[in-house]
Amino acid sequence: MVDAVLVPMDGSEMSERALEYALEVFPDADITALHVVGEPSPMWARATGIALADDIEASAREHAEEVFERAREIAADADDVELDTRVALGHPVRAIVDRAADYETVVIGSHGGNVADRIFVGNVAEKVFRRSPVPVVVVR
Amino acid sequence: MISTLLLVGILVAIFVGYNIGGATTGPAFGPAVGADAISKTAAGALMSIFFFVGAWTIGRRVVDTLGRDLVYDPAVFTLEASVAVLFFIGVALFIGNFFGVPASTSMTAVGSIAGLALAAGELNWAVMGEIAIWWLVSPFIGFWVSLVIGRYFYASLNRRLAMDRSEGPPFEVDRSGIVPMPTLSDTANVREAAGVVLVIVIGCLMAFSSGTSNIANAVAPLVGSGELEMNPAIILGCLAVGIGTFTIARRTLETMGNELTELPLTAAIVTATVSASLVIFLSAIGIPASFVIIATMCIIGLGWGRATRPITVGEAVRGEESPPVSVGALSDDREGEELPPIGDEEEPERIPKASDLFDPATTARVVLMQNVVPAVATIGAYATFRFVPIFGL
Repeated sequence: MVDAVLVPMDGSEMSERALEYALEVFPDADITALHVVGEPSPMWARATGIALADDIEASAREHAEEVFERAREIAADADDVELDTRVALGHPVRAIVDRAADYETVVIGSHGGNVADRIFVGNVAEKVFRRSPVPVVVVR
Repeated sequence: MISTLLLVGILVAIFVGYNIGGATTGPAFGPAVGADAISKTAAGALMSIFFFVGAWTIGRRVVDTLGRDLVYDPAVFTLEASVAVLFFIGVALFIGNFFGVPASTSMTAVGSIAGLALAAGELNWAVMGEIAIWWLVSPFIGFWVSLVIGRYFYASLNRRLAMDRSEGPPFEVDRSGIVPMPTLSDTANVREAAGVVLVIVIGCLMAFSSGTSNIANAVAPLVGSGELEMNPAIILGCLAVGIGTFTIARRTLETMGNELTELPLTAAIVTATVSASLVIFLSAIGIPASFVIIATMCIIGLGWGRATRPITVGEAVRGEESPPVSVGALSDDREGEELPPIGDEEEPERIPKASDLFDPATTARVVLMQNVVPAVATIGAYATFRFVPIFGL
């Protein structure tokens, strides 16, 4: 029985599919959607834009809200009573792996971004899969 | 009679200039257009004008460096070789515009010319060394200056520049007189107008700095080869840039992928001012500067400085931040107060910390990645000119 599932979401279609899959396969588990903001970008403006805010946490939540709204819609469609949401800062791989130990399974989409993200961030799913302390399901 | 090959060379140079116009209008006037301060057409016009001023006054020094000083014998710039060099520069620009991976045009230009000169055994290592040293030093200057601003001055700057834009354009053009005069519209206040003017002025400064460093990338090989004189070459290059600012720049201004628009306006202004000043300084001493790398280091410096900002005395006194811990406070558990049982407490929510945003290894990786395109161009140019025997070397 899996009780706690972490679903990292970057807002891409693939990550939404990961959430759908998690809801379907682990219907009784508590599912947490994690969104990482301020990730590396070609000129580092995303991270700096958040770092410059007066209230970093509020700014991060504001950035994440759009993704969480979609996630809640998907969860509502699957009759999940409530979806936990978490926001983290910095490099997606580090943020996900750091939190993975608190859960029993990580369900992640196989890829998210465009060429620029691929070059500057790398393939997040692949690295999470290698470094995660708990089992990882990669959704394709 | 112009030879066909020269015509091809000129066309490629125009293509490069056109792409430069498209690529640099975004960073320069993106914030101004985003804040509804000016229209895209006005941005294109200002960009063209100030680019030309920069190219005509200071830009020629960089053309000299690239076209004459970097090589012992400018004869290596055969028409075939010039076209090939321009081709490498064009590809770098294309990658930057198309994939959203910013690549420094100037570094690519120096790289391809160095590759050419190296293959011909004509590279002036003293000049190359000087350029390389400035490439190392200038990003650090930008980083440090921005770090100081971010740590100590950003908060007050931000308060001063805070711009609450009201609806509608800030200026109306009064056409009742002979000369159309811009006047404040009813909905705008003076403070707002000052902010709008500032954003536009900084856009012009960026356009000027871009002209000083970028004109060489479009025309230096042709000037070096002696096929074009300096002045007609600069005018030709600026015309090509101008066409770019009115055409593809509309698209680059629209794509929200433009990094500088992800910054708060104050941060964009600080970054633009610091990096444009550095680029102008470097161009004035004849060094082709890399705006992309300098600007990135400015952004990182600003964010990092801000993330590690100290608590000001005022904030501490008002108790807005956690009070200082007095000696012994940690061991001073009062009686009767129950300690939370170990291992049974609620799972702590990790509070996002700004320092998470600036992991040194990841930051270094991003900065390193920006050097990939110029490095590939250098190696590609060297291999091409060394082993493909059609360039008349």
